[in-house]
Amino acid sequence: MASRSDASGMLHGTLDALILKTLTWGVRHGYGIARWLEEATGDAVPIEEGSLYPALYRLERRGLIEAEWGLSELGRKAKFYRITAKGRRQLAADTEEWTRFSAAVSKVLIPSGA
Amino acid sequence: MTFGRRLRSRIWRGSVEDEVDAELGFHVEMRARELEARGMSSADAHEAAVRRFGNIERVNATCRSIGKQRDRGMRRTEFLTELTQDLTFAARQLVHHPGFTIVALLTLSLGIGATAAIFSAVQAVVLRPLPVPEPSRILAVYTAFPQGRGSVSAGNFVDGIEPVSSFAATTAIRYSSFNLADTAQAERIIGAQVTAGFFDVFGVVPAHGRVFTAGEDRPGGPKVVVLSHRLWNRRFGANPSVLETQVRLGGQPYEVIGVMPATFDFTAQTEELWVPMAFTPERKAMHDEHQYQVYARLASGATSERALAELHRNAESIRVRYPKEAAELDFAVAKVMDELVGDYRRRLFTLLGAVGLVMLIACGNIANLLLARATARSGELAIRVALGAGRGRIIRQLLTESLLLATLAGAAGIALASWGVQALTAAAPPGVPRLEQASINPLVLTFTAVIVIASAIVFGLAPAVRASRTDVQGVLKEGGRGMGAGVAKDRLRTAVIVGELALALVLLIGAGLLIRSAMALERVSPGFDASHVLAARLSLPPTDYKAPERVLQTFEQVAAAASAVPGVRSASLTSQVPMGPGGNGNGLIPEGKPFDIKNSIQSRLRIVTPGYFDTMGISVVRGRALNAEDRRGALKVMVVSESLARALFADSDPIGRRVACCEPGPDGKSPDYKTVVGVAADTRWRGPAEPPSPEFYLPAAQIPANAWDWIQRTLYVTVRTTGDPATVINPLRSALAPIVPGVPLFDIRTMEQRIGASLQTARFNTLLLTILGGLGVVLAIVGIYGVIAYFVTRRTREIGVRIALGATRRDVIALVVRQAVWPVGLGVAAGLIASVMATRLLRNQLFGIGPNDPMTFAGVAVAVTLVALTASFVPALRAAGSDPTDALRTQ
Repeated sequence: MASRSDASGMLHGTLDALILKTLTWGVRHGYGIARWLEEATGDAVPIEEGSLYPALYRLERRGLIEAEWGLSELGRKAKFYRITAKGRRQLAADTEEWTRFSAAVSKVLIPSGA
Repeated sequence: MTFGRRLRSRIWRGSVEDEVDAELGFHVEMRARELEARGMSSADAHEAAVRRFGNIERVNATCRSIGKQRDRGMRRTEFLTELTQDLTFAARQLVHHPGFTIVALLTLSLGIGATAAIFSAVQAVVLRPLPVPEPSRILAVYTAFPQGRGSVSAGNFVDGIEPVSSFAATTAIRYSSFNLADTAQAERIIGAQVTAGFFDVFGVVPAHGRVFTAGEDRPGGPKVVVLSHRLWNRRFGANPSVLETQVRLGGQPYEVIGVMPATFDFTAQTEELWVPMAFTPERKAMHDEHQYQVYARLASGATSERALAELHRNAESIRVRYPKEAAELDFAVAKVMDELVGDYRRRLFTLLGAVGLVMLIACGNIANLLLARATARSGELAIRVALGAGRGRIIRQLLTESLLLATLAGAAGIALASWGVQALTAAAPPGVPRLEQASINPLVLTFTAVIVIASAIVFGLAPAVRASRTDVQGVLKEGGRGMGAGVAKDRLRTAVIVGELALALVLLIGAGLLIRSAMALERVSPGFDASHVLAARLSLPPTDYKAPERVLQTFEQVAAAASAVPGVRSASLTSQVPMGPGGNGNGLIPEGKPFDIKNSIQSRLRIVTPGYFDTMGISVVRGRALNAEDRRGALKVMVVSESLARALFADSDPIGRRVACCEPGPDGKSPDYKTVVGVAADTRWRGPAEPPSPEFYLPAAQIPANAWDWIQRTLYVTVRTTGDPATVINPLRSALAPIVPGVPLFDIRTMEQRIGASLQTARFNTLLLTILGGLGVVLAIVGIYGVIAYFVTRRTREIGVRIALGATRRDVIALVVRQAVWPVGLGVAAGLIASVMATRLLRNQLFGIGPNDPMTFAGVAVAVTLVALTASFVPALRAAGSDPTDALRTQ
């Protein structure tokens, strides 16, 4: 699947990549992912909580993550997500693109020797 | 697809809506708890959690729609994955059991091929619409005679049919043969004189040039001709430059103005050219010479009922105006498509039904093979069930195997069918309309695809359902041998055998009835002696032979010259030989009855020269034959056939009685009487199956002058030879050439060939049905053999024990054959009952026996029973010969 590289897709792509990255640490439910993102990014990346779920459904439809129902830590039924092999490949590609993108942007915004 | 995803899709049985609601609800609740734990009140925490989430309705809706797409994709992927698995597995099964695969493929592809071939014939002849616009609006119009429908006279056409306002166009047609001589080679061609409405009735535009107009269709109009595509191809090399050139027809120059398209080839006589009818005023005034075929196209909005009502009214006014010539006149109509296809509809559908029965028997055999295999495979299936495959899944897998088998057989069947269609069109009797256009076209392919799918279900469903019911524990406990007593009595396989035998019996009884009819037909005396007789037609062009005296004189010279040919015992001429359809008829009224058309006996006219009865071998049972003394000026005489004598005079002696016919008397008003001098044996005039109809013979030297026009100056030259009649054809041609230069003999055939031709359709049908019946029986026998052999294999141990305990060979054979007695008996009984109903379809094709002929029924039933029981003897003998120690060791 072609990675999103247009400017408007950037944020989407970023959220997707962040979700995939989150799931490389283990199986998590949606709320768990939201909490992890809050803590990891330290609120630097503002994510509206609700927008997480369409992203999860989209990733699932694309086969990058898969879901199964299980019991949460509080004994409630919850939907747990896990990254697939295809998801890991996508994450690697996204990470590489992000690195290239941020390096290019950095080169412009932060001149060397400044 | 990973195992987890598949499992999830099985475990989560709820809807996407529930899934999204639960997931989002969980999130909000978890967030609220967290806030509560930080000290918020429960209500505030919930409100804050919702606020932080954002637009929950929109998120919910987006997730639902994405989730639905996800599930759809998943189902599709799952289905395709399973299908691929099933197909791979099925292909592996077929490859690993080559014996089963080859037998099943052979059986099925033969069945499918035969069905497709017959269907393509049905489609070409019966189902395909005529290649004209709105063919259902074209009607054939007839004169309604008390004996049936007949041709129409020119006067009745002009006064009664042309004015009908429900008709958009009408045409009168007269078929005749033309001498076409544009080059050195003269040729007889069937053509038609038609009124100009012909082209409007059939609504066909010419492929080249134009057709003639009403203005050209008048006496003295231009001599123009429209060619058929076939004639244009054959005779003129499809050269468009033939347009506006002249060809010689019957000695006169005609201008070629148009060529019809190739598709216009369905008319009854397959005529090859059309010229204007050009009715003269005298012809238009004739109301009692019925010699035209009439077709009409319904006007838009008109119905055939309304047209018929108008025809009835017009007939009534003609009756009033011409009480003598048209006393009983009425009209009848029929759809032209029905007329064209006629009897072939029933014949072809009967064949299609027969081939369908063979296909069903073939499916029965495959089903039995599959049932046997399912038993052998019960171990494999039990393991699959134990691993979690549902019943539906097992059925689907087994049906996929059946479908793969049927599809492969279908592909082979199409190849067989395309060969079969060629064989069928080549072998079919001539005159089956439109058969030569039969081909493997998209409709036939679609039909074959339906047959493939249907057959896969017919032969695959029962075995699949049965296999899916496998008793897992029982089979696994048996150690997967799957051949032991775990399988109960096999009622299903027995039922299949019963069905197969019943169907085969129906087919064979049908074939048997046709064969017995054919034998009865061969025994029918045609009323003449066909051996050593040759008949060929000779047609004198009216331009060169106008005067009746000259026509008679020429024909008498022809008869004399033919008699002088070496190898010819006798020669004479007739207007109509037996076994040739067509010919003229007249109404005859015996002297003493009022001269009223009501008292007339419709009878077939034969104009003959002296010696005809000897040449044709027709015996004169009373009085004398016609001879050279019966000339113009002498007493006017006739010979009547036995059936005509009975119709005219009942049992009294006809010799010396007088009969009015054919022409007015000397005063032009009173009847003209001819004296009966002899009674001839009845002859079959359309084939042995048709009962003889009344005939009368007039001496050529005494016929009315216009009778030469009735028969278009055409007579059959008949010769009785000492040796092989074929050897005199060329000497006869050379002998006649100097008398009638440039006029060819045509339709040259021996009388035996003519009888054969009249039987050809019946023989062809009999042959096909016999082949199908034989095929059905062979398949059914193979089926019985298979079931009994299977029974023996399954009971090897039991039989071994019995032999060890002292059972004799006879006991063992009896045990095995007894297994076959019930199904065979039931099958034969069911087949007999089904045949009583099915053979009604053949009623029209039978001769000399009824559709429930007890001899045929009994004979076929006994034969099938014996053969079926014999088939069960083979495995029985093998069982009886088995060594008990071997038998016991096998398990």
